[in-house]
Amino acid sequence: MLQLLVAGVTVGSGYALVALGIHIILRATRIVNFAQGEFVIVGGLFALSIVQLFHVNAWVALAGATILGFGLGLIYERVILRPAARFGEISLTIATIGTIFILLYGHALVPGWGSLPQPLPAFTGEASDALNLGGLSIPYQSIWVFVLLLAALAAMYLFFEKTYYGKAIRAAANNPLGARLVGIDITGARAISVGIAIALAAFGGTIIGPITLVGGAGGVAISIKGFVGAIVGGLESPVGCVVGGLLVGTIEKLLQGQFSYGVADPLIYSLLLIGLLVRPQGLFGSRAAVRD
Amino acid sequence: MIARLRADARALPILALIVAIFGITLARNATYAQAGTYAAIYAIAAIGLSLLLGNVKQISIGQAGFFGIGAYVVGYLTSTLNWPFWPAAIVGVFAATLVGLGVGFIALRFRGHYLAMATLSFGLIVVGLFHESKLFGGASGISSIPYATIGSLSLSGYAAYWFAWAVALIAAFLTLNLLRGRTGRAFETIRNDELAADVIGVATRRYKILAFAYAGALAGLSGAIYAAYLGLIVPDAVGAALSIDILLMVVLGGQGGVSGALIGAALIGFLDISGHAYENWREVAYGVLVIIVVIAAPGGVIGLFRRTKREARAAPGLTTLPVAAAPVRPLNLDSPLVVHDVTKRFGGLTAVDAVNFTLERGSLTSLIGPNGAGKTTLFNAICGVGKLSAGNVNIAGRDVTGWQPHRIASLGVGRTFQNARLFDEMTVLENVVAGLIRSERTSFGADLLALPASRHAQRESTDRARATLARLGLESIAGMEARDLPFGERRRVELARAIAADPWMLLVDEPAAGLNARERAMLQDDLLALRERGMTLLLIEHDMKLVMAISDRVMVLKFGVKIADGDATSVRNDPAVVSAYLGTTG
Amino acid sequence: MLLAIDDLHAGYGAIDVLRGVSLHVAAGEIVAVLGANGAGKSTLLRTISRYETRVRSGSISFDGHDLIAASVESVVRYGLSHVPEGRQLFTELSVDDNLRLGAYARDRRDIEAELRAMYERFPALAARKNATAFSLSGGEQQMLAIGRALMAKPKLLCLDEPSTGLAPLIVEQLFALIASLVADGTAVLLVEQNAFLTLKHANRAYVMENGEIALKGSAGELAEDPRVRAIYLGGSVDA
Repeated sequence: MLQLLVAGVTVGSGYALVALGIHIILRATRIVNFAQGEFVIVGGLFALSIVQLFHVNAWVALAGATILGFGLGLIYERVILRPAARFGEISLTIATIGTIFILLYGHALVPGWGSLPQPLPAFTGEASDALNLGGLSIPYQSIWVFVLLLAALAAMYLFFEKTYYGKAIRAAANNPLGARLVGIDITGARAISVGIAIALAAFGGTIIGPITLVGGAGGVAISIKGFVGAIVGGLESPVGCVVGGLLVGTIEKLLQGQFSYGVADPLIYSLLLIGLLVRPQGLFGSRAAVRD
Repeated sequence: MIARLRADARALPILALIVAIFGITLARNATYAQAGTYAAIYAIAAIGLSLLLGNVKQISIGQAGFFGIGAYVVGYLTSTLNWPFWPAAIVGVFAATLVGLGVGFIALRFRGHYLAMATLSFGLIVVGLFHESKLFGGASGISSIPYATIGSLSLSGYAAYWFAWAVALIAAFLTLNLLRGRTGRAFETIRNDELAADVIGVATRRYKILAFAYAGALAGLSGAIYAAYLGLIVPDAVGAALSIDILLMVVLGGQGGVSGALIGAALIGFLDISGHAYENWREVAYGVLVIIVVIAAPGGVIGLFRRTKREARAAPGLTTLPVAAAPVRPLNLDSPLVVHDVTKRFGGLTAVDAVNFTLERGSLTSLIGPNGAGKTTLFNAICGVGKLSAGNVNIAGRDVTGWQPHRIASLGVGRTFQNARLFDEMTVLENVVAGLIRSERTSFGADLLALPASRHAQRESTDRARATLARLGLESIAGMEARDLPFGERRRVELARAIAADPWMLLVDEPAAGLNARERAMLQDDLLALRERGMTLLLIEHDMKLVMAISDRVMVLKFGVKIADGDATSVRNDPAVVSAYLGTTG
Repeated sequence: MLLAIDDLHAGYGAIDVLRGVSLHVAAGEIVAVLGANGAGKSTLLRTISRYETRVRSGSISFDGHDLIAASVESVVRYGLSHVPEGRQLFTELSVDDNLRLGAYARDRRDIEAELRAMYERFPALAARKNATAFSLSGGEQQMLAIGRALMAKPKLLCLDEPSTGLAPLIVEQLFALIASLVADGTAVLLVEQNAFLTLKHANRAYVMENGEIALKGSAGELAEDPRVRAIYLGGSVDA
């Protein structure tokens, strides 16, 4: 049971970062980024390439992948999201689905990436090293995942709550007209928000990479589970998104422990439907943001 | 809208011809025959989604769920219970339709991204159920499903090509009928402006559910034929990838109508021949293509062939038919409207606070007050838009509190909006015809088969709409698209739409806003003419000259409370009104 | 002349709401724009601030800048701040953050001193410094909106119906505040529904009707003019 919890919190950390990324993009642009999970995959592959090309340790790869993720986010916003936004919500949804195709099948074409998942070196020691606590085995990488999740959250908190530009970006999302009237460039604020969200995805892909492998076709499932986390916790609340993501990871592992893998996923998706229907504002949200 | 469907109808025989030519030439090669058959099978599902996405503006990324239901029902009934194909297919389509009704009902609660996510998870849940159910063979699915047969002809190989395309083209033809009938016109109003559609009497919820059920039925049919053709159905074949492929076909081919779906399905069917070696490149290309289509050519492939230039066509001459008399209604028209203690709160704000009034038959009453006084909110309350916080509304002797807007409209109540909510992508004539949808009495079946009743109803509505346009002097712009109209004409067209079905009560929201002096004079004449005809009018207006000139009675609202009620002169000199408008001398 | 508008035709999409409006504001003036609902007052302010509306013809010049060619974000840099209808505060941010962001468009080296001055001017806001803007009362929110606009150190402050929804006592305080701004050298262009009170405090006023300037003059003259009442309430002049 506790063993499952450890595994749950580990994958849940990944979902939490996906959920938070979806939240940031939604707040800034009113777009639900269905492709968020694909960016997790691609971000992990960035780290893999950095390790392979430059023979650096995983920490350098993490920094590099996060920065590349930020850049990729800026491109994504400028080339796909911004042009598609003019044609309404359905067009945007379709454009994010197109992005899934490009990233999902495109990453397999990149030399060194391929379509099969590959291992990423652990942050310390070997991926299989674990801390033994009286029968409970906690992989060191799981500890790193959780610590780095907290570090990322702290960084987000400091940026958005304590810096002038972070506040300006929140202001732009909170009230675009008010922001423009005080002189904030809301287009730039949106681009940076998307960049940050994709950087978070790359960060998440890199820290769980040593455990779940990087690459492969799992991006859609990651997107949906991240979204389930965001819905469960409350799309409009950053804390809710993180808690929701951790919760979904934990529930997933517990269900997989009870039933087969095949049963767990549909049950989690049912959770999404039920959550949307019963409490669309999520556990931590206060506003109904679903209808209109 | 009609122009688009006409282009669709013209394209259909051409597409049928291409299918036939391909059938007698290339399809003799087994690889091509197979690709063509799959294209036809997926086209059936794509037609359904095209209608949902392009005609009703509802997204679904869960069509594979319905496809799976059709396929699995046929697989199970034919291979395990040894049913013949046809009854099994009927049960499969029926099951998919039922689930479609359910999904449609749930979908009413979602919009946009949320609807996409909800339908996606629906599809995933269905796959998961098939994957886990022993009855349906779990991960290995159901195999050795027999071919469909017609008489002694087994529908495999080359025969399957003709069969699948025959079904796809018939489905396309029937869908086109549906879209050209009352159902399609109702869809079009929902696609353009759901609220306005509801207020002119279109049962928007029912039509949206219908659209989901119809799309579900076609996807189920597609799955049924697929299962019998392949002889095998596995969960992986009906997963999210298929839902997305169907979406891709519709978007690439061109959403809305049927030709785009056929073209999109054929396109993807044939690109898929390129085989496994290029799979990744192909899928990346799909992704790039779909984004380019969304950004640069929202009409898809078929859109490239459509006339892009909109031209103002003069309406053909008026065929004068006697205007049908308004049906006799068991309504108490002597009590047109009683508003009792109506209260509407938004969060902590009370927008309308216990307002009471009764209208007299055939009178013209104006509702005035400063910005934010709650005038439009009160209109919404009367028309059934949104729930009341307290109080009730009685129209013609019936308590209509809690009624949907379209039901209230169907009692014979018309309404216009502050910002003239026309259906922008429809012509002026189509807009006014839409105002008559509520008085047509044709069935879904009649529309689908294009029965004479359906065509007759449409002709009659068109004639009535033309007569209404003539009455307002708007015949010359009947063929123009609403979005091309100058604002003053938009208002008059909206008025025409509201009065086309001969309502006995009309609610008009700020009709003079944005009009120049000449247009205001015309408006004044129009309103007085309507009152002459015995119509009861309730008017929100800021132009005091107009209000004072034509009103039998003026009511003043301030912060949701009625502060004055009486004839124009007494209201104008009421100190409370003077201070509401001009402020206190301090 | 600080602000000069000449023969402005503007509106939304196909609709022209303003039909040939000319108006000016000199430094140190309080100028009011009055008129009934739908006369085009808010549209005029939006057009000056360059948002939502579309200009068909005419000119707007502000302190040597051509505003027709300007963006919303640059207008505030030129020294024109707009407190719009509905206040448009950052409701999820604190009072302090709202004020600080008001200075976004300018050199922020003196921001702390400016903030102190603002809290002296609005003691009620100082007391609620760390509360979210959402939790303020209507009057406090209006003060915050004005404070945020003032943080940009504007030469001209445009106010769109600032008295809407406020209690009479608060409205009095608001007008006293507006008067004090002018004493500090900020000109004010004030759109109001509340004609009598506004005319008591303004130097000059324009009365709009149906997208045009129907009357203009000194506040004193207009306060006595029976035509103002007729424009608001219809009917003949002697009613």
